[in-house]
Formats: sequence, structure tokens, C-alpha cells
Amino acid sequence: MAAGRGGFGIGGPDSELIDEEFVHDTSSPHVAAMVPDLFTHPAPIVDPLRTTTSQAQKETVNECLPFLADCHQPHNDHGVSQLSRPRHAAFVRKWLDQRMSRHFVAVDASRPWFLYWCIESLDLLGEDVSQYGDRLVQTASWMQNPTGGFGGGFGQTSHLATSYAVILALAIVGGGALYDVIDRRAMWKWLSSLKQPNGSFAMATGGEVDVRGAYCAAVIISLLNLPLELAPEHCNPPGFNLYTGLANYVQRCQTYEGGISGKPDAEAHGAYAFCALGCLSILDSPDRIIPKYLDIPRLVSWTSSRQYAPEGGFSGRTNKLVDGCYSHWIGGCWPLVEACLSPGGETDSTTSLYSREGLTRYILNCCQDTTKRGGLRDKPSRLSDAYHTCYVLAGLSSAQHAFSYSEREGLEPWGVSSHTAAEQVFGEVDRVGTLHPVYVIPQSKVVAIKQYFASKSGF
Amino acid sequence: MPSKSKGAPKAKEQANTGSNPSSANPSNINPKTINERSAYRYEVGNPLASKKSEVGGVQGLSPTERATWTNLTYVRKAQDQKRLPLPNKANKDLWKSINESGVPLRGLDELEGLKFPGNKIYDWGRDRAGRDIGEYTPEQFKKRRGKRLRVTQLEVLGRQFQALRRKVGGLATLEDEEIDKERIRREELAKLRMELYGEKTGTYAQDPEWDDIEPVAQVEGEGALASIAYSDDYAEAMSYLRAVMAKKEHSPRCLRLTENIILMNPAHYTVWLYRFSIISSLNISIKNEIEWLNKVSLAHLKNYQIWHHRQLLLDHFYPLFDPVDGQPATADNSEEVKEFALSEMGFLKKMLDEDAKNYHVWSYRQYLVRKLGLWNLSEEIGYVETLILEDVRNNSAWSHRFFIVFSNPAHASSNPEIPATKFDPKVPADVTEREVGYAKRKIEEAPQNQSPWNYLKGVLARGGKKVEEMEEFCLQFVNKLGEAEEEVTSSHALDMLAEAWAEKGEKEKADLALRRLAEKWDRIREGKEKGGHAALIAPAHSYSSATSRSFHPPRPQKNLHSFGARREGRNRSKTDGYPPRAGDESASKARKPGAEHEGAQGE
Repeated sequence: MAAGRGGFGIGGPDSELIDEEFVHDTSSPHVAAMVPDLFTHPAPIVDPLRTTTSQAQKETVNECLPFLADCHQPHNDHGVSQLSRPRHAAFVRKWLDQRMSRHFVAVDASRPWFLYWCIESLDLLGEDVSQYGDRLVQTASWMQNPTGGFGGGFGQTSHLATSYAVILALAIVGGGALYDVIDRRAMWKWLSSLKQPNGSFAMATGGEVDVRGAYCAAVIISLLNLPLELAPEHCNPPGFNLYTGLANYVQRCQTYEGGISGKPDAEAHGAYAFCALGCLSILDSPDRIIPKYLDIPRLVSWTSSRQYAPEGGFSGRTNKLVDGCYSHWIGGCWPLVEACLSPGGETDSTTSLYSREGLTRYILNCCQDTTKRGGLRDKPSRLSDAYHTCYVLAGLSSAQHAFSYSEREGLEPWGVSSHTAAEQVFGEVDRVGTLHPVYVIPQSKVVAIKQYFASKSGF
Repeated sequence: MPSKSKGAPKAKEQANTGSNPSSANPSNINPKTINERSAYRYEVGNPLASKKSEVGGVQGLSPTERATWTNLTYVRKAQDQKRLPLPNKANKDLWKSINESGVPLRGLDELEGLKFPGNKIYDWGRDRAGRDIGEYTPEQFKKRRGKRLRVTQLEVLGRQFQALRRKVGGLATLEDEEIDKERIRREELAKLRMELYGEKTGTYAQDPEWDDIEPVAQVEGEGALASIAYSDDYAEAMSYLRAVMAKKEHSPRCLRLTENIILMNPAHYTVWLYRFSIISSLNISIKNEIEWLNKVSLAHLKNYQIWHHRQLLLDHFYPLFDPVDGQPATADNSEEVKEFALSEMGFLKKMLDEDAKNYHVWSYRQYLVRKLGLWNLSEEIGYVETLILEDVRNNSAWSHRFFIVFSNPAHASSNPEIPATKFDPKVPADVTEREVGYAKRKIEEAPQNQSPWNYLKGVLARGGKKVEEMEEFCLQFVNKLGEAEEEVTSSHALDMLAEAWAEKGEKEKADLALRRLAEKWDRIREGKEKGGHAALIAPAHSYSSATSRSFHPPRPQKNLHSFGARREGRNRSKTDGYPPRAGDESASKARKPGAEHEGAQGE
């Protein structure tokens, strides 16, 4: 497995050996001293009133504390566990390569997501994904409908989420043969048919309208360089194009708490917050568009409140539990929020609006399945899966890197570099790959696919 | 050498002594298996075969044996051609010689060495369990042969049925009795095929009702990524689904097909969307569909396709509610709507009993309130209060409360819609007061619970009230700030105090509050409290000014930047790593009109 890893000079850790090496350390009293007490003790204020919510919260804290104090796993001088790269990579490859048993029929409509989650995870882990090119072309081709878009599988209705996932998977592997799978003209016609009078998009013909649609559509339109005009058969009022009213729709999803809901009137939720900010950041520079449509102070306040101590991880909603996947959904909001607070320039690489250390500790100590199973998870009591593996690793990438945004004619405005704060609690060997903060695939792959389609203004 | 079956030596002996072969009736030797029986018959039919291979071919046989073998081979080959092209004399001699040798004229063909593994004379194949059929007892074999005959018989009857069907012009014109008979025959046929060959006949392939559909199988090839080994039932149902969807068929049988697939995989959005298109074109009653849907929902609590389906149903059927005096029917003016709403609420309660924060259930509930105008329905408001009473930390319930109170058309401007965090002049003052009071009471129950604090902030912004009005309320949770005996029972109170003091221009106090949050009471948010909070805290309340009705959130102001723990950062240049904040001079070009005066409040 280590041989397949590109970009990481240091060989993969032999976990068995390390287990032995550290097994004595974990019982020694100085271990706890390496971990700030913020992460080893319950929050300073806990109300005595017991309810279902507080009970669940208390159980989660109790579940995480031993992992954070690092009684279980090998760890570094900061009390942070190492990333079990080979095990996670093997875990992910299994989902891609092996036939799932018939009990997994429930994911039959989500197979495109598995393509994206697994390939992106491998990429973040530094694995070579080019070997999947041919099989990906084959798999994706069956998912595409002649009327435009990709469904969950052969003969399934085209859906924005599955189209988004297929396109990103194709983009990560990259190359003309993969890009050419996509029928752009049909995609454009189909997207035109999904455009709603309220500005957003239906997820499918007759499907739900929500912020996911706004984000997925914007990602597809911008990556494939599709014309913004609506296809003639879906002619709307003059001047109404694919982007019209999209930002206004997102605006209507900001709630009194400051976060973003799936659709107007609902509760603020982490995954939708990322979709909202991602969508806006595609439409225009974040420092111009986000403040224009969203209440920044309330947004920052809500997003910031998603991080909990002592767990260090993020929750998706007020008074809900931490979950590893929000390492991305909330963690991925921060580069966009920070960019919107830094007009036209670099974001600050030394200060962060959230605790990168807390998130890193939660991810590496609580979200890794360090048994032979491998993979990353919601929280220690949950089983790892492909979804969590992808988004926990994406969150780790975000915590490990600094982002900048500056507009330069014809160039990709987003820049990514290692975040080199004074205190880095993870080992350099555990630094994962970088991601574009909006498209959640590597920067270079965004540039490559955009360049490819930039040369095709027609079809 | 092949091991000989029990019957073989006896047969050879008989053949050699020239006794009558008819005495070698297989039934006399009671073979235990079909292989044994074959071996015995082979030996009887080819008395010289074993000897020939023992002695290394025809050359090793005695002259008499060789003559017998040659004659027999000749006769058997000639038999195949139905004639013996010999002159009479030769013919007579041949038969004489054969009769004298006493070997049977008919027999299994002689084999050039044994062709099958296990020294078998003949390969009978394997049954569905992988067992060699040659190892069957004759009794078992006879039974199997009977079943195979029955299969042929049923297939013939099936073809007759199809012919009849074509003749009368389709299934609809056939007698039910005929169809039922065919259905029973196919069941039997499927059972037999399974027993004989392990072949599964799908439910749909068996059903005469689906004969006209050519199923479309999934053929992705071996290399497909993230593939699933579907059960036969699912794979078959899906291949029929693909076929009928391609035909855009909307019929009762398709409705049943969608139900079948949904029960196997409720997360299948394609099937749900197709199901709705069938329901709308067949005009199925909403009551039946909802009853069915409720069962599926309770069995699959996490499923969300269900809720979109429910919303589509309501969108489709809502126009059937009679408008009242030209106005759309709502719970306020129509008993029919109210009754429907109450039955929906009853079901939603069941769902929320299972998970009081189920996002999709709440989203549907919000949709329902808007669609049916349930703003003033006492049951709706009462239910939310009950949930908050049960768990004051249930943020979904708080969120719903905010929605019912502040999106109520009686309390909210609708055109243009005002963002949720902004002042809405249409909100009556008494509603704001009532909600502020409610939030305060709930905060007192558990001051570290963020839900009512967020609610309170939301109400203040919506109602156009200043945060500083909350100073006294917040102070009951914060004692002796900055002193040795400092006591804080709610970090949210301290946070709101920082905002209130900033609003009043009490920078030192605001600074202290933020510092104490960063140092002790809310350390995980140190980054925001130190680096960013100052720039972010003020504008939220700026909408308290009724004159400021800009929909553009104001920019954080430079002067607000100066308080907060990181005030030293203010004068740093961009190059030392501290970035300009939104309110810095460099950003002023992006500032929106209407934002200028707001910063003053921070001074």
C-alpha cells in the first residue's frame, strides 16, 4: 500500500510495531499533560437540568474523553494519534473494488456518491487514483441518461446530487477521456429544465428544491463551462438565466440563528451551510457576494458555535452532537467565511476563527477506526463508512491548510498552502492532500477540467 | 483400470460362457445408483470391452473373440445406417456367428477409454445442489425424470395459453379462470425449475400480467466500480421498472411494482418520483396513498424520499379543497382543511416521538403550515410548546416556533421578504415582548442551553430591539466578572453582554467579557473571540434602527475593530501576517451605503 502513495516521502507507519512501542506510554501519568485540559475535561459550565439532549451530549463527551486523553491509541508528543493511512486506503478501496453484498441495496441510488467519496478519500490519502480511469468511464457511462444528467445507476432518473458526484469523480481522475463521458449539451438542457422560478433548482424532474440543488447546479455549470442562457424550450422571462435568483434563494435560507437551512423556513444545518456558501462563492468573489446576501456576524456566530469542547469536533445544528462529517460541512465553511472577511486579499494564516487544534484532535483521536477495519467515522461508537471517511479527511485537510483568495485575470483565484501555525499538533507525515475549498476536489483538478471546457464555448 | 461395478464380472462371465444375455436383466442385480446401472449395462452390452483394454487392444484377443468383436462392431455401425449391405451368404454367416457368441446386439456404445472423471460410463450432470445425478438411486432418478416430463408438459400448455391470448387479442379479454390456471401452472413450473436446475424464475416472469414487458437488465460489465450483488428479486423488479418507465406506462400494475421496489429499497428516489407520476395520472385517492405512506414512514424513520412524496401529494391534491369565498382554503376557514391538518399532525407526532429532531419531518411540517395556513392553529402552537417543555434543548422545536410566530402573515412583511436576521417593522411589539419573555423564562431553566439564547437574539433582531436591553437579564448569570470570585453560569450570557456593552460603547467591559470567554468560559472559540469577534459582533443589532432597512448586511466597522483582545492587531500592516478586516480602509470601497452610521454605536 505504501508503494502506491504519491507525494509522501515518508513510508507508511507499521501500525503493529507502533502499537507495541506506545502501549507502555499510554498508562504513564505524563500522557494527560500533553493534552490541554480543554480537551480532557467536561465543559466548565454544565446545567443540572437533565433532558434527552443533555443526556445524549453527556454520553458523547464521556465516549470521546478517553480517546482525547489518548488511553487507547499510539500518539505523538501532543497526545494526537497518527493517521492510519494504509488501513483507511484499504477500507476505501474495498468499497470501490469489491461487489457489495445484496444487503447494501439501500445505496443502489447512491453509487455515484461512493465513486466520489472513495476516489476523493484515496486522493487525500496520497494514493494513485489514475488506475480507476477506465472503470470509472465504464461505470459513469451507464449512469448517464440521454436526456441529460446522471442518475444513481442504469435506468435511474437523473439527479443533481448524483450528477455532481459523478462529475467530481471524473474530474479527480481527470483527462479528456473522462471529461468526454459527460454529454454537456444534454446536461445543459436538463439543468435548464430544473431551474425554478424561485431561483433554485429541483434536484430532479419533480424532485425537491433546496440549497443542495443551488450548490450542485452551480458546481456543474461552472466546471463544465455551460452557457448560462436557458435552453430555448425552457424560455423564461427575458434575462432569466441559470444563475438568476440563485443568490436570493440562498439568502432566504439564512435563519434567525445565522446558519443556513435546506429550504426557507427550516432549521439551520451544517451541510446546507456549506452548500450555501459554496454556491455563493461560485457566483462571485466571496468578499463581495457573501456579505451582500448573508448576515455575516450571525453566520460566524452560528458557525463558530458548532464547535464543541472538550470534543473538539463540529455538530451540524444547535444542541446536536458532534459528528465527524461536519469536519467538512462546517470546517469547509471557514475558508469561505474567512475569505469573505478579507476583501480581495490573503486570509490570515496565523489566526483562525475556529480551533484547528480541536478539530484535528477530534478527527485523529475520535474519528479513526484503528482496527483492521480502517476508515473514518462519525464518533467512536459508530462504524466507519465511505461517506464519513471522505468528509472527515476533507475536514482534516481544511484544518491543515490555509486558503487565500485573490482575483487574477484568467487564473484560479483560490490558493492553498500548508497552515503553519506555531502549534501544530499533528505529525507532518499526517498532512493529507489539499482541496479546492468550493469544489472539494484538488485545486489542480479544478483548473484542469475548467481549462478543458473553456476551449469549448459551444458544444 | 476402472474399478468394476458389482454387476460387471457376472456379465462378463455370462458373455464368455455364451449363456443367454436376456438373463442379465439389470433389475436382477439391483444397482444402488444410476452410475452402477450404467456401468452394468455397459458391461453387458460390450462383453469384450474390458478384456480388450486389459490385453492392449483387438490384437490381444483370441481369434474367436476377435471375430465376435468385429462382427458386433460391424452390425452396430450398420444398424445406424438401417441396412446391412451384405450378400445373402455373408449376411447369414454373420448372424450365425453373432447368435453363437451370445452377445447382445444392443448396448451402450463402446468407449475408447473412459471419457468422464470418476471412471463413469456416462456423465449425467449435476443437480442444483451440485450432486452427481449418476449417484441418484434409480428411484430418485425416476422421480426426477417425472419432473422433467412435467416441465415439458407445462411448457406446452403455456405455449397454448400464449396462442389463445394472441388469438383473443390480449389478456383483458381472456377468462379469469384461464389466467388463473396459467398463473398456477407457472408457479409449478418455477418450482420445478428451481428443484431441477436451481434456476430462479422471477415473480414477474411468472406472472402472465407482465408477459408483454421485455425486462431491461442492468449490464454494466465486470469492471463496474462500487457495484452491488443484487438479490434476484430486486434485480428482476428493477429490470421491469426500467422497461415500464421507458414506456412511460402509468397503470395499477406499475403502482404495485413501485411498492414492491420501495419495500426492498425505500431510498430509491427514481421509484418514488415514478410512483407520484402514476398516482397523479391515475388520480388515486390521497387517503389511500397517505395511509400506505404512513406505514412505510414508520418502518423507515430516516428515509427522506417519503417526505418529498408527501409534499408532492399535498401539492397535487390541495386544489381539491374547496376555496372559501374565493380565498384559498386554510385551517382557519375550512373544516375540511383543519381535519386534514389534524390527521397529518397526528402522524407527524408519531414520527417525532421516535426522533424529536428529525430534520425532514420538521421541514415537511413547515411546508404544511404554510400550505394549509396553520399559523393560528392552537394545536400547532401547543405542540411546539409541549416539545420544548419535554426537552428545552430541542432546537428543532425552537426553530419551528420562530417560524410559526415570525413568518405568520399576520406578523410578517411578505413583499419583499425580509431576511430572518433582520428587523421586520410589521412584527407587533406585543408579540416581540411575549417571545422575549418566553425565551427568558426558558433560559432560566437551563442557562447554558444555547437554543433559547439564539431564539432571544433572533427575536430581538426581528422585533427591532437593542441587545443592550438584555444587560440586566444577562447579568444574573455573570457575577464579579474579572475578579477572583468570578462566577459565570452561562457563557451565552457573557457573549450577549459583550454585544450589549459594545452596543452601549462600553468598550472596556466588552473587551473584558470577550477576554474572559477566551480565557476561561468558552475557550474553544478563542480564535473568534480574540481575532474575529470584534469585527463581527456589532452589526447584528444595527437593524434595531428602524431607519436602516437595507437588506445588505452592513460591513463591520473600523472603529469596532479597536476593541477586543487583539486590538494591537489593528495597526498592523498586511505584510506582518495580520490581514485587514472587512472594516479596514482597504475594504471601504466595498462598503454598502447605509452602513456608515451603524459603526458609531460601537464607539
